[in-house]
Amino acid sequence: MFGTQSRREISHEFQPSMQYWKPSIHTRRANIVVKFQDLYGFTVEGNVDDVNVLNEVREKVRQQGRVWWALEASKGANWYLQPQISSISESVASLKLSSVANSIVLKRLIRKGIPPILRPKVWLSVSGAVKKRSTVPESYYNDLISAVEGKTTPATRQIDHDLPRTFPGHPWLDTPEGHASLRRVLVGYSFRDSHVGYCQGLNYVAAMLLLVMKTEEDAFWMLAVLLENVLVNDCYTPNLSGCHVEQRVFQDMLAKKCPRIAAHLEDMEFDVSLVATEWFLCLFSKSLPSETTMRVWDVLFYEGAKVLFHVALAIFRVKEEELLMTSQIGDIISILQRTTHHLYDPDDLLTVAFDKLGSMTTNAITKERKKQEPAVMAELDQRLRRLNSIKVDDESPSVSPVAPR
Amino acid sequence: MALITQTYLSLLSFWSTLMARTGNKNIQAKLVLLGDMGTGKTSLVLRFVKGQFYDYQESTIGAAFFTQILSLNEATVKFDIWDTAGQERYHSLAPMYYRGAAAAVVVYDITSMDSFIRAKRWIQELQRQGDHCFLTILFIDLLGNPNLVMVLVANKTDLETKRKVETEEGERYAQENGLLFIESSAKTAQNVNELFYEIAKRLAKACPMPPTGIKLHNETQGGRRLFCCTG
Ligand SMILES: Nc1nc2c(ncn2[C@@H]2O[C@H](COP(=O)(O)OP(=O)(O)OP(=O)(O)O)[C@@H](O)[C@H]2O)c(=O)[nH]1
Ligand SMILES: [Mg+2]
Repeated sequence: MFGTQSRREISHEFQPSMQYWKPSIHTRRANIVVKFQDLYGFTVEGNVDDVNVLNEVREKVRQQGRVWWALEASKGANWYLQPQISSISESVASLKLSSVANSIVLKRLIRKGIPPILRPKVWLSVSGAVKKRSTVPESYYNDLISAVEGKTTPATRQIDHDLPRTFPGHPWLDTPEGHASLRRVLVGYSFRDSHVGYCQGLNYVAAMLLLVMKTEEDAFWMLAVLLENVLVNDCYTPNLSGCHVEQRVFQDMLAKKCPRIAAHLEDMEFDVSLVATEWFLCLFSKSLPSETTMRVWDVLFYEGAKVLFHVALAIFRVKEEELLMTSQIGDIISILQRTTHHLYDPDDLLTVAFDKLGSMTTNAITKERKKQEPAVMAELDQRLRRLNSIKVDDESPSVSPVAPR
Repeated sequence: MALITQTYLSLLSFWSTLMARTGNKNIQAKLVLLGDMGTGKTSLVLRFVKGQFYDYQESTIGAAFFTQILSLNEATVKFDIWDTAGQERYHSLAPMYYRGAAAAVVVYDITSMDSFIRAKRWIQELQRQGDHCFLTILFIDLLGNPNLVMVLVANKTDLETKRKVETEEGERYAQENGLLFIESSAKTAQNVNELFYEIAKRLAKACPMPPTGIKLHNETQGGRRLFCCTG
């Protein structure tokens, strides 16, 4: 039976090891670049300082775990799960009070990081994935997977092409088993929403979800809730319109929150979406170290898509002075790349993201999106018409209206 | 507009003095790679920039940026390379990357007819961009570049046994459209350096009347600084 497959625990070949890697005095002297596996099995290349930071991060993760256990002990194991207002007879007022108090505690706690072991449970709950799944029969995922088995579509062909190109070399993802799991999740989703189908970028997102969640099915539901509820609509649809909107909103925010950088980049004719598009589409999984990415996702699932703006702005902010000195586009990009790749301590980034940028409400962002939407749609529409005109009359090119941006 | 002209002229005059002094040209050129997913764009760039090749290369999202410097007898060319994502839906991002490029490399995979068809569409789009800009030549600085050096690259020649697009087919199309044509393999490194050398040579020839996307600059002072001081 196919049914058992998705329930099976994903057996990662690598065991997230909590071992410390102690640089010897010789490596310290020589400042040698070392290679090692991080918590999620990714190979990290770094110098001794990086190793030390990673060791500190592991220690912090452990301490944070103790905070969570203590809370579970005092408030009950599932205190953070969405309150079920099942019986109206219950004292609504006191329930509200305690759930508000809990949500304040929870928000602060989540910004400090969810212990890796609790992530599956907490993510499913706070993102709304549990609720989403509860609206369909238990067998939904297995039925979907068996129904689409053996079917070939443009999406499945592209997925097959990308399987070995998704974090190649990873000890579990890059095995036949890992490929098969990733394939089922992506193919399943491409049938669930055939308008989205498969968009490159989702392969990285789904792969990270598989590494975190206990079962393939849970990874699937996290992907579904991300695309359908957490992120802005149409991020991954065929014209990426949602993604274009987010980029414009981001530009606008950068101008407000980091005006000096924004002005400098504009002087250099550097469009931030040149780099930020990948951040938003892969949710930073291709740019930040894995535990830092996971910390961003912790907050993303609880607080929503505005978190992506916080984090993207913070990346520019932490390197503000350096960026202001640049005179070449190449320098901007290499500063940003170097920075993101070396953000081994998630708190270095998240403290800036949430404490140094002032507040950004989801409402304000929604408003800004609404404002940008018409221009984006008009631009995409114009481009489409121009492309169509190329296809139908190759012979006599007509003058097209002013080019977009 | 006045400001642009002014800085441009002062840049040119600065350039002439530099030329007189060194007798060599420094050219900074934006190069963009376009083509269907999996045709080998990233692999070609990695081969050129780092001499590396991976059997499984991560798919590109949005675009990746690389730089590489090539020294010719007549000039030193610094390439700013934008390697774009190939999936059809990323098409709507492409103008951001090819805007103002001095060279465009359109790649197809000789084992895929679809990728060849896609390459032709890219070329038509770029040409249309060129026509369009030619008509609004005054605003050339903001739009495209009629002197764009375009190359059609047939990649993965090491997979000869699986070939679906004949050499002549690519060659003919390139000829009809006035493009350079090169067959390459990122895997064996065949013709990869040649591809970039050929482009560099064309760019050097096009200078010192620099089309957009080529910025003449002084290594020590930096192009932008110059703009700031004199503009
Ligand atoms: N045999 C062979 N394989 C190649 C060659 N060039 C690239 N490949 C392989 O083809 C696959 C795709 O190559 P990429 O360089 O990632 O292709 P791309 O055009 O950048 O793809 P996207 O980023 O998805 O647009 C990789 O697995 C490469 O190893 C080549 O010359 N010969
Ligand atoms: Mg690529």
